[in-house]
Amino acid sequence: MQQPSLLGQSITRIDARAKVTGQAHYPGDLTMPGMAHAKVLFARRPHARVRHIDISAALALPGVLGIFTGADVPNNEYGLVLFDAPVMVSELENGNLAAGNAQNLKLFDGIVRHIGEKMAIIVAETEKIAEHARSLIKINYEDLPAITDIHEAIKPDAPQLHPHYPGNVIQRYRVRRGDVEAAFAQADVIIEDTYWMGAQEHAYLQPEAGLAYIDETGRLTIQVAGQWTHEDQAQIAHALKLPLDQVRVIYPAIGGAFGGREDMSVQIVLCLAAQRLNRPVKIIWTREESMIGHHKRHPFWVHAKLGATKDGKLVAAKINGMSDAGPYNYTSNKVLGNFTGTCVGPYDIPNVAIDSAAVVTNNIPSGAFRGFGAPQGLFVAETQINKMAVALGIDPVELRRRNCWHDGTITPFNTPVPPGCSLNEVISACAENKKLEGAAPNASFSILNSKFAKGTGFACGHKNIGFSFGYPENSACTVELHGNSEIEQAIVSLAGADCGQGAHTAFLQIASEALSLPREKIELQLSDTSTSGSSGSASASRLTYMTAGAIVGAAKAALAKWQDEERPVKMHHVYRPRPTTQIHPQTGEGDPNITYAYIAQSAEVEVDIATGQVHVHNLVCADDVGRAVNPQQIVGQIEGAVSQGLGYAMLENFVTEGGYVKTAHFSTYLIPSVLDMPDRVQSIIIEHPDPTGTLGIRGMAELPLMIVAPAIVAAIHNATGVWVNELPVTPDRLRQALKKQH
Amino acid sequence: MKDLHTITTTVNGKTYTREAESRMLLSDFIRHELGLTGTHVGCEYGVCGACTILYDGHPTRSCLTLAVQANNHTIETVEGLTTDPNKLHPLQQSFQDAHGLQCGYCTPGILMTMKAFLAENPNPSETEVREALSGNLCRCTGYQHIVDAILRMKDEG
Repeated sequence: MQQPSLLGQSITRIDARAKVTGQAHYPGDLTMPGMAHAKVLFARRPHARVRHIDISAALALPGVLGIFTGADVPNNEYGLVLFDAPVMVSELENGNLAAGNAQNLKLFDGIVRHIGEKMAIIVAETEKIAEHARSLIKINYEDLPAITDIHEAIKPDAPQLHPHYPGNVIQRYRVRRGDVEAAFAQADVIIEDTYWMGAQEHAYLQPEAGLAYIDETGRLTIQVAGQWTHEDQAQIAHALKLPLDQVRVIYPAIGGAFGGREDMSVQIVLCLAAQRLNRPVKIIWTREESMIGHHKRHPFWVHAKLGATKDGKLVAAKINGMSDAGPYNYTSNKVLGNFTGTCVGPYDIPNVAIDSAAVVTNNIPSGAFRGFGAPQGLFVAETQINKMAVALGIDPVELRRRNCWHDGTITPFNTPVPPGCSLNEVISACAENKKLEGAAPNASFSILNSKFAKGTGFACGHKNIGFSFGYPENSACTVELHGNSEIEQAIVSLAGADCGQGAHTAFLQIASEALSLPREKIELQLSDTSTSGSSGSASASRLTYMTAGAIVGAAKAALAKWQDEERPVKMHHVYRPRPTTQIHPQTGEGDPNITYAYIAQSAEVEVDIATGQVHVHNLVCADDVGRAVNPQQIVGQIEGAVSQGLGYAMLENFVTEGGYVKTAHFSTYLIPSVLDMPDRVQSIIIEHPDPTGTLGIRGMAELPLMIVAPAIVAAIHNATGVWVNELPVTPDRLRQALKKQH
Repeated sequence: MKDLHTITTTVNGKTYTREAESRMLLSDFIRHELGLTGTHVGCEYGVCGACTILYDGHPTRSCLTLAVQANNHTIETVEGLTTDPNKLHPLQQSFQDAHGLQCGYCTPGILMTMKAFLAENPNPSETEVREALSGNLCRCTGYQHIVDAILRMKDEG
């Protein structure tokens, strides 16, 4: 009998009950008999040579069970893109320089490259003893000059910070389409400006934590909060020189991630400690340790030039952009790719020249954070087009309608936009929801005798779905069917991480659709490398899109066997979307992205002229999700992403000085409270099915963050006549800008 | 010399007697000594509100409270909101139904804050709800569904 599918229903998330009763267990809540406690010693200096590490006094402290340093790590290297970072920095002479089959990049050079480098993991009977022992470790450092400014780092005579990145550059992209200089010469209006966007901290409420132990089958096991079980497993196995199947990674409840758990934090060092001591070992980082211990959103410096004809046709765009990658490639090459693909916006511009670079410094590494380069690219692109609208006297929505992508529009990569482009529809849905008052500042407004000024702003954008630039995307699922005349139980196994975004509930809904089964007949086996294949990462707006392909594929295969009277059935399927390519190093030509999702937002703000405080009254967000798997949860994703975008736009000022972090607590690094939020976030869900994927689903949860900043900055300009080119627009920055203007 | 104090405290209606060091935090006492891990620690010094418990009925940061301060006092944690496994407290039910949580790490602290707030102000305006919620940080939801969950309680009387 056909059962009603759960797809498209706002069902309650499957972990809600455990979370409201306090029964959900996060990594820091787990305990085991005989459990020991660990602390990590961080370098806490941005650039230094390690002369000597002396653990003898610490090791002699009663209650200390073991102290492990870089010299104890069999392959002392790790990394998501390549193994370019040491697990722990060891002294040169004791480093595992001859570590045999390590794909080492000669990194065992005893150099500390940022303050969050790990130097040792200390294990003791109690956390207090471990902390005490940590204070007894003596390290003789020779401090080296720290390069913390990207402009300094790229100077020809700058000290070289990493042997694998000559010139202190991890990656460059070069895109050339048409003839920009000729087109600028023909343009009626040119907008040219320089932008700066600061770092952003993920600030998930659950600091890094984990419990590592040897499981009942003798496997080294870790329960930890991450975003990609199988990648954690691979990196642990590599560093510890273990066969893959001797490492097991399990994700219990995860207290937020947003990209910040994509790279290794406690995983490798904790597994090392548990393996060496043959005891369960637990670690919980403090908030301050979390702040210095994981990467940030890339700061970007960008110079941008945009030309248009007076009737509002964009003719040329030129970008020179640089990100601060920190010392290692925490996906900086990929973030740069996404920046490059978004920095001139989703517009039909026949002449484009983009030069971008990810630059090595001694700041904390930059890496994945919701949006992954697109918030930076789109802040520039959208602010440029908003300025252009003002200069041309054309409504900003109308200017976008005249230039925006459609199916087949040629992108800066000189290949067509994949089918399913709904940008025009998304722009209209957002704009028509709330009548905007035009781009030009209110002519009658005089800042000198006003206390408050109101304004509106608009922005739109696009986000690639999945790992791009030739990465062989894949996602696996296994479906088991049990029963006789009818299916009594389906067991659906997959690894995809539920970081809080509700992925597991979405998996259930997609499985219900694919198998035509009600909720009570579906059992999910989740987030454990020992029970399923890889789903890939919970990132890149990819998890629902890729997993839908995996679940539907496995379900189809299983149902076909079921029709053939096979009992029970167990079928495995690996979904692979259409392949992508790298882009050409000289021209940027290529087909780097599988497909896109689209978004538009408008913001209404009120500026307090005296203080520079900005309050967002209303924010409208139209997001094309392709097919809404769970509308209630989608609205939750939009509202949450908007709050992080608002923090990025106005509040979250991650301050560093000479590589040291000045804002390592929630009292100095401010994230939005409820009173900082818009009075209302209006979510408009658009369901324009994506023809490239499965069930029409698009990724959606990164998009609402990406364009909050340009919408708010345009609204501030609309209110005050002032453009602010630096993020975040803190009250100080805005006050300075207002002073300059008036 | 061992620096230990005997503490007798009632937590979620059950009386416990335990030894604790002078400087032990109430949050650690609840989590490690009593095993009630629903009280979460997010920042360790009173900013985020994830560790909020009720201390004699008042919402209190357990990370800024010493365990010895619980001696002869009554504590309520998220685990005490309902004792019936089949029936959630109305606040829990409302958060579940209105999707007032995502990662859920901040949720116990918010539930405890709101329990005390609604006991004092059972019929709040949206502005009052936002004011009462302003001491609790949530990184996932953008707060709107949390506000909705609390206002829904009022609507359902």
